[in-house]
Amino acid sequence: MNFFMLVVKQLSKIYPSAKRWAYRFHGGVFPRYNKSLSASQPIRPQLIPEKLILPLQQQVGLPACPIVQVGDKVKKNQLLAKPSKDPQKALSVPIHAPTSGTIIAIEEATLAHPSGLEGVCIILQPDGANQAIENALEVDGSLPKTPVELKSVLLKSGIVGMGGAGFPTYAKLPNERGRIHTLLINGAECEPFITCDDLLMQTQAEAIIKGALLTAEALGAERIICGIETNKPAAIQAMKKAAASTSVEIKEVATVYPMGGQKQLTLELTGIETPHDSHAVDIGLLMMNVATLTAIYRAVSLGDPLTSRLVTVSGLGLEKPFNMDVMIGTPFNSLAQAAKPKVKLDYPLVMGGPMMGFQVKSNEVPVLKTTNCVLANPPEPVDMQMPCIRCGECMDVCPVNLLPQQMYWYSQAHEFDKVEKLQVFDCIECGCCSYVCPSHIPLVQYYRHAKSEIKAIHAEEKAVELAKQRHEFKLARIEREKQEREARLKAKKEAVKQAAAKTEDSSEKTPAKKAAGAAAAARAAAAKRAMQKGNKPSSGSDKAMPSARLKAIEAAKKAAQNSELEAGSTASMKSSTGDAKSKARQAAQKAAQKRAQKVKAQSEPANKDAKTNLKSESSSPTKEPSAEAISLDLTQTSEATTASKKEAARKAAMQAARAAAKKRKVSSSDHQVSSDKPSGERSDNQTHQQDENSDKRQKAMEAARKRAKQRQAEKNQAADNQENT
Amino acid sequence: MSQSILSSSPYTHNNQSVRKVMLQVQIAALPALIAHIYLFGFGIAIQWMLAVATALVVEYVMLKLRGRPVLPFISDMSALITITGLVFCIPPEAPWWVIVTGSAFALTFGKHLYGGLGYNPFNPAMLGYAFLLISFPVQMTQWALPIEYTGEALNLLQSAQVIFTGQIPGLSMDMYTGATPLNEVRNGLSQGLSVQDTLNNSALSSLWGLSSWGWINVAFLLGGVWMIYSGVISWQYPVGFLGSLAAISLLFNQIDPATYPPVDFVLLTGGTMLAAFFIITDPVTASTTPRGKLIYACGIGILVYVIRNWGAFPDGIAFAILLMNIAVPLIDQYTQPRVFGHNR
Ligand code: SF4
Ligand code: SF4
Repeated sequence: MNFFMLVVKQLSKIYPSAKRWAYRFHGGVFPRYNKSLSASQPIRPQLIPEKLILPLQQQVGLPACPIVQVGDKVKKNQLLAKPSKDPQKALSVPIHAPTSGTIIAIEEATLAHPSGLEGVCIILQPDGANQAIENALEVDGSLPKTPVELKSVLLKSGIVGMGGAGFPTYAKLPNERGRIHTLLINGAECEPFITCDDLLMQTQAEAIIKGALLTAEALGAERIICGIETNKPAAIQAMKKAAASTSVEIKEVATVYPMGGQKQLTLELTGIETPHDSHAVDIGLLMMNVATLTAIYRAVSLGDPLTSRLVTVSGLGLEKPFNMDVMIGTPFNSLAQAAKPKVKLDYPLVMGGPMMGFQVKSNEVPVLKTTNCVLANPPEPVDMQMPCIRCGECMDVCPVNLLPQQMYWYSQAHEFDKVEKLQVFDCIECGCCSYVCPSHIPLVQYYRHAKSEIKAIHAEEKAVELAKQRHEFKLARIEREKQEREARLKAKKEAVKQAAAKTEDSSEKTPAKKAAGAAAAARAAAAKRAMQKGNKPSSGSDKAMPSARLKAIEAAKKAAQNSELEAGSTASMKSSTGDAKSKARQAAQKAAQKRAQKVKAQSEPANKDAKTNLKSESSSPTKEPSAEAISLDLTQTSEATTASKKEAARKAAMQAARAAAKKRKVSSSDHQVSSDKPSGERSDNQTHQQDENSDKRQKAMEAARKRAKQRQAEKNQAADNQENT
Repeated sequence: MSQSILSSSPYTHNNQSVRKVMLQVQIAALPALIAHIYLFGFGIAIQWMLAVATALVVEYVMLKLRGRPVLPFISDMSALITITGLVFCIPPEAPWWVIVTGSAFALTFGKHLYGGLGYNPFNPAMLGYAFLLISFPVQMTQWALPIEYTGEALNLLQSAQVIFTGQIPGLSMDMYTGATPLNEVRNGLSQGLSVQDTLNNSALSSLWGLSSWGWINVAFLLGGVWMIYSGVISWQYPVGFLGSLAAISLLFNQIDPATYPPVDFVLLTGGTMLAAFFIITDPVTASTTPRGKLIYACGIGILVYVIRNWGAFPDGIAFAILLMNIAVPLIDQYTQPRVFGHNR
């Protein structure tokens, strides 16, 4: 204790508030500790209860899986339940038998939980012999060299944080050596009544220090600092003695609640304020409770799993409070009875201290690995809750420097967004604010409620957000599909343009045909012809309108060459159903429509009929088969060409062919003048010339016809061959 | 008052309660009350009892009307603090209906109509005081003169006679009443007298160099320091208030001593100390954050000085406090402390 502390100590005698100057964090309270009730008693010999209730879940995470049957005889330290899943992914720790005996049931029982949760428990009836398996964890006594080695031992031993939170210790450690630079030992024990850590430090200082050293060694931590509150002089002495020749620093810290809070003690020992959004491990610090370190030491050096722990049984309602190395699973009631209750225990016992503990729903609940205290305080009448007078007492004592009064105000008004903004999630639920509130408002209760409400709201928001995302995704998909369609159309146009450009140069020289292109062209031509003829089916129409067909064929060649792949692939994306027939039908219909338009432009007489016909066809599903039949008949295309891709390609080719034919008509009219016009210009032409040059088109048709006639014979032959295959 | 059993942690309490806090405040006001009786006679005692009676009736009626349990709320003692604050503000020999209407107004309009304890935005005592200042300006300025003028204070019977009948047979009331020092300085200034002249002319400093007004203020200071010591009030309120008041009066006194009274006069006259320790510390209507408390108190200090010197009223405490009450939500919002582990 340095000089400043001495001054503060003297000063606090005349001015109690001076105590606040002796530590670094804000707030804190000085409750009546009542520690001497149990600390003055020696540790009692272990009590073997009539039955042990071993919950499969004693910690944060998932319950363990029992590997014993009802009726099995087990020995002390025998594995009863193994971690349920891959423990690296889901937190889960094994459970071992605290003593020898028989498994009499595996059933649901009330757990030590604020909400009175039920959970599956293994019920063990001790035989009193306490036969043990020595070195149950099969350790060879060598110290773990790496965090991973240490973690495997810790996992096997079922050690969880014994200070209260109960986070599985193996999961707390980082995998890499050297990530932790300072190991902090929590020996503050700031809760009133509880003295188990105090006595543990007095009696097992060696084990604690060794456990700390081996942990630090495995993790590669350079410093070890142990913080003990000044109200435990005996523990400080014992620990100092045990740590004398080691690198462990023993630091006395002021006696104030909640000094034992992880972040508070960290600040006190290292001066580091853990950022609100990170864990201590992230900043190279690891804090362990003295009891946890003892358990680690026993596991690593003796191979003992965690089956018992030091528990304080105390309270104003007990005649003879005590500390005891209690087997995990011992019912609370049997411990309280052993302490001679002053009056019948018809009130709920409290697990933990009076500041942060909770009343158990049944006094038969078992001691867990995290139970440090069984408290029997007869219920006191409490003053009526008054309105908040905004006195600010709560704010003055909050160790997290929150504004409890405002959080309460908004919680009460159900303005949870404001509560969250006031950082309610940083509240450690230490209870200081409720402890001092002159209006006796159960503030912490409001914060717990607000927290759960906010979590629920967020979950809901998430669900809504998800639904919204889904909806947006759907919209986006529709939009994308639309764009794809457009892109496809554009690509086709593009392809057509190119095809047309090439056709101009090479339509005479490259008679090679692609099957799809030819077929498509043939069909397109047939459709056109059919329309021109008033949609009258005609089987022998191949030669009746050869020019159009040839035109189409030629265009299709090029178009197919240029765009088969891309058009095919884009088209196939849509046609995942592989419905070739419908594709063909669609193609035919589209072709027909185009034709119809063209026909109109050409002022052919039959266009009206064709159009109406087609309209009715495309709009009424009942007529579809007939349309199909028509197109198929006309083109003489066998239905054997079923692969959707091919169909799509054909469709694309067909469209290309149509367009190309149209285009060529136009371009061939001014063939001599503008044969090498850039395509951009040409596309302009294309858009412009829709109306203005129906005569041009006719000219082009004629030109194309002439050209086509030249090779009519062989091409017809070839086309027919192709179609018939 | 023993109801439900605590259902969640913490299962322990430091045994503080609203009633205890209020009682501590009341105890802290006792030195000033005794000094007042000694220096000004029993007027204040009669006024105080009148106010308590009024408070009991008003509280009872209002709680009944609001459908609230009467006993716990009437015994929370908050009304007692309100009327104590008010009683010190009115002249000891003022007619009985002044304090009765003032108390009734303060409790009804200052507290109950807003939803009772904890919900009122304005300091009820100051609301009542302001109401009286505006409604009965004459009665509110006729202060009983302290014994240094009159030789001896009125006895209990005489005080009662004055308060209830307005006169004492065979005595001229003018002998016993006069202006407060603040008023005197004000009147002096308006007559062209400098502040020093006014202060020297009147035999204001008598008992060991301090006027009766000064002594009352010292008594309040004593009680206030005790409250800070025992943690009933926060130090920010008096420090901020007195600090800013002292600073601003020092500044102006240096600039022009003839117009602006010296620091000690400012701090020890009128209701300065009463306000510093008993009025602005009313937590319900004050800012709650640590910095907010300071800002709130400083604001009142400056406003008090401004109103005293340039306003229409000799003592600006009531209006300064009410004005700052309005600003409290804003102050609170912008002075939230840094939460542990968060960067500002
Ligand atoms: S301690 Fe209680 S009464 Fe005081 S401000 Fe906080 S919540 Fe309000
Ligand atoms: S319970 Fe929360 S709000 Fe209350 S003092 Fe503790 S940390 Fe602050």
